[in-house]
Amino acid sequence: MTLQVSRRAPFLPWLVAIFSLVMVMSASSQNLSVQPLKIVGTVSAADWEAYRSRFVEDSGRVVDTANGNISHSEGQGYGLLLALAASDRRSFEQIWSFTFTELLIRDDGLAVWKWDPEAKPRVTDRNNATDGDLLIAYALAKAGEVWQEPRYTAAARKLAKAIGKNTFARSGRSLLLLPGADGFGAGDRPDGPVVNLSYWVFEAFPVMAALAPEYEWNRVWRDGVLLLQQAASGRVRLPADWLSLENGLQPKPADGFPPEFGYNSLRIPLYLLRAGMTDMEWLRALKQRWSAENEGVAVVNVVTGQIRERLADQGYAILHAALACALDGTPVPAALRTFEPSLYYPSTLYLLAKSLLGEKYPQCVSSAAP
Amino acid sequence: MRLVGSAITTAILILGFAAIAQQTGPGAQPPAGPQPSESPPVNGSQPQVDESALRYFASQGDTRRVNAEIARLRALYPNWTPPSDLSQLSAGGNAAPDPIIERLWNLYREDRIAEVRAAIAERQAADSNWKPPEELVTALETVEARRRLVNASDSGQWQTVLSVATESPGLLTCTNVDVLWRVAEAFARTDQPTRTRDVYTYLLMNCANPAERLATLQKALTLLPEQQVTDLLQFEGRTGETPDDFGSIRDELARRRVERASLDSKMTASAEDLAAVERLIRNTNEAGPVLVLGWYNYHHGNPARALELFKTALDRNGAAKAAEGYAMSLRALERLAEAEAFAYEWRERAPENMKIYLDIATALLSQDPPPRLDAQVVGRIVPAVTAQRFPDAAQALGWYSYNTEQIRTARDWFRTALGWKPEDEPSAYGLALSTQRLNERAAFNAVVARWRNRSERIADLADGTNARSGQRSAPVQPRVEVDATPRPAVSRQVTVERVEVEQPLVRTEEGVRVRQTQARSVLGRSCAMTRNPAGLSGDAALTRGWCLMEINRPLEAVAAFDQAIATGSSRSREEAAYGKSLAYLRKNLTSEAAVAAAEAPQTRSRQVELGASILTQRALAAYRDKRYVETLLALSERARLVPEQNDLLLIRGWSYFNLGRYKDAEQVFRAVQRTGHSEEASVGLNAIREATDQVAQ
Repeated sequence: MTLQVSRRAPFLPWLVAIFSLVMVMSASSQNLSVQPLKIVGTVSAADWEAYRSRFVEDSGRVVDTANGNISHSEGQGYGLLLALAASDRRSFEQIWSFTFTELLIRDDGLAVWKWDPEAKPRVTDRNNATDGDLLIAYALAKAGEVWQEPRYTAAARKLAKAIGKNTFARSGRSLLLLPGADGFGAGDRPDGPVVNLSYWVFEAFPVMAALAPEYEWNRVWRDGVLLLQQAASGRVRLPADWLSLENGLQPKPADGFPPEFGYNSLRIPLYLLRAGMTDMEWLRALKQRWSAENEGVAVVNVVTGQIRERLADQGYAILHAALACALDGTPVPAALRTFEPSLYYPSTLYLLAKSLLGEKYPQCVSSAAP
Repeated sequence: MRLVGSAITTAILILGFAAIAQQTGPGAQPPAGPQPSESPPVNGSQPQVDESALRYFASQGDTRRVNAEIARLRALYPNWTPPSDLSQLSAGGNAAPDPIIERLWNLYREDRIAEVRAAIAERQAADSNWKPPEELVTALETVEARRRLVNASDSGQWQTVLSVATESPGLLTCTNVDVLWRVAEAFARTDQPTRTRDVYTYLLMNCANPAERLATLQKALTLLPEQQVTDLLQFEGRTGETPDDFGSIRDELARRRVERASLDSKMTASAEDLAAVERLIRNTNEAGPVLVLGWYNYHHGNPARALELFKTALDRNGAAKAAEGYAMSLRALERLAEAEAFAYEWRERAPENMKIYLDIATALLSQDPPPRLDAQVVGRIVPAVTAQRFPDAAQALGWYSYNTEQIRTARDWFRTALGWKPEDEPSAYGLALSTQRLNERAAFNAVVARWRNRSERIADLADGTNARSGQRSAPVQPRVEVDATPRPAVSRQVTVERVEVEQPLVRTEEGVRVRQTQARSVLGRSCAMTRNPAGLSGDAALTRGWCLMEINRPLEAVAAFDQAIATGSSRSREEAAYGKSLAYLRKNLTSEAAVAAAEAPQTRSRQVELGASILTQRALAAYRDKRYVETLLALSERARLVPEQNDLLLIRGWSYFNLGRYKDAEQVFRAVQRTGHSEEASVGLNAIREATDQVAQ
């Protein structure tokens, strides 16, 4: 036995290399095959009203109720997207007004990410968060098209250009989406570049590419997919929220962040499904892991595989239900069909998932389904 | 006057903004707001008041709301008068009131901008032909632009500030002075001070509110070079209902000029500026201007006035900075003991206070002649110097110890000073002097070896020693050179703790008294010019004698000391006799030295020092002349005064050896060996073995 192991060992690097090659090839063959979502009209007035009344203030501020009632660019982006999904032009305009006047003030055209009602000045971190920028630009672009509002389209274009200009970074042969314009690059930290895979809002890329074609959106999208496959190829098969790419396409958990598949990364499968990228093998594995018979949706240490926190809220449970529906046609359980808003983040995930199910998989949520 | 050219100024300003926007690169969009030509003419005599809501209510015939709005605008702009054409609007208001428009204006008035936007969007979603009133749209855009501009400015996003200003020139009016200020700052923060000045100029030429005009100059003070601020003072309005008073700005400029001059003794402030600062001192309770004037006086040769001012500053809670000035003024007034005591109390307040304390302590110790210091004073200087590792003060402690006849302590302090500042020549010189005085040849040679090429006086010191030994041409036995060979110095780091424990600085009160020494060179004296000492006073002759000793001209020094003995006080005579003995010793004239020492009564410690030195010289001279019995006699006499050190013990050993007293020689060499100098001792022991073996054969 021992002899066999020691003889086999030298082949392991080869196996890894061949495996990676196959991955690269399969990823390059996916040529931005995102199926565009309609979005508008996919969230019911009742669900939206339940959300809006809890998390959106009259000023158009989307409130993160689990984080000291602060607001952030991500929340504003989600708010815009959900208002569009609910065909609520009034709320969309309201949320945009806040976003435009309070957050879109950076010299580089990106949004400051953090706004605290208790602080003076309210902007407590003038850095951007690229996922927030992407979500805002994407929602604006979609709304501009649906409602024929040139103000939205113009703002979306401006933001798309700013994203392309300030957050794309070359690293070896890849083109990455940095989580922020400052502080994450190879020169900014010893383990840089550092990325967050859940910042790739895949469905937004083709839309951004149309608005700012001078930037390589396609390539960033493709390299993100590759990176996800690499990061999910470890023993635990889960990417850490924050990845250091110090060693090129051999990602490792970034310094100073817990090595966890956490609240950030939970969104990745949702984004993949929303972009129609259902053929990724990893989704199947994740569906297995998330099933009630296994560990369920949880925050998991990607090194040890240990569970730090099980996530029972409806907003997390529906992520598994959406996977099961998309991959196997399994109907969404009855308990998940009625929106019971709790905190900002799971409620947001819930409506995003439900919007997707309503548009692409109505059979899983129709009253005819068991 | 202010009205003239205001429109032109606006245009220039806006063109400036457009130019900036183009510089910001591809991100910048062409101005979306009204074009410059559409911007409302600036009314210089009264601020640009947003009357859109008022006009709307008037057109709807809503008198209650019209009156409320008039009241609100009057509260905001005291100089504003309602337009006279309101009644016409009201009369002509025959269109049916649109309830949503009214609701929108109400929301707008309550600053609920997102809700106005939302309501417009909602209405348009329901009726795509519906359009909000143009006035409302413009008003909304202006408010949004102002918010973005203010937010961007609060977050230091200056390019955004400038691009928003460019896109919304309607904001740049006297109703929005705050916006103008922020734009001015954005120019300053993006290295365009000329444009900053243009904005302030525009504001001063066009906007009437006296408080805002004064505040504009206050802002200018923080952002513009003083000359440009001075240029802006020309816009001070001296007539009219509300004349400007820019006196405080003038005073501040004066204060700054005095402040600049206060740190540079070559710059003088005008009497007018100084008077302005005096006025500030009288009119406020602040320490700031007092400190400025204090430093000015300090650096312009008036420490007495500076001291008074720093005292005032201390009373006004000027704290550490005032204390620093107070201590420095005391020092400048040569009130060093007071200065030390004061600075000691403040030393922990700030690094500058510690620095001035150490400087003052250094000055105190370096006084000429060395003062008699309280044990308490020295006792608190030492730990401060040690904790701060301050080499100048360590050196000063070295000289102080040296000058008060604590040569070992002096040596240790010089070593300590060199440990903290290895390139400190004066400390090396002090170390050379003290090791020479202590007859620690290895240590002396080590210093000389390290410094010979860098310090002439250290080289001279060494050459003086060599010249002395070379004077006697008598052949010297090879073995005798053991004595002269530099030993490997046992490098023993002088620990500061040891120095502290020893702390004998204050014990020899006799030594504290006036005594001129070689150390004086530190003070930069010169006596190199040869001159006849006859005619000099006792003290002057004494000083000259020591000075000549320092430059190693002992025979001239003898003449100077003779003059001092002839004319000086008893104290000077004692001192001079001592100096004369040392001078003769330096020339190896030991009997003359002994005679000189007897010319005036010496203190016990000096007797011991001189006696030991004379006897050492005598022993060495006898040894060189192979008069071994005499050598042993001199050594034994010396040993009664002070303990015999190893190098002299070796001389004793070799003397015994040369006299054939091998047993005694062996005893001495073994004793030396036990103290760690085995090499030299072994040479002696081997010689004894050889000699006795030969005898045995």
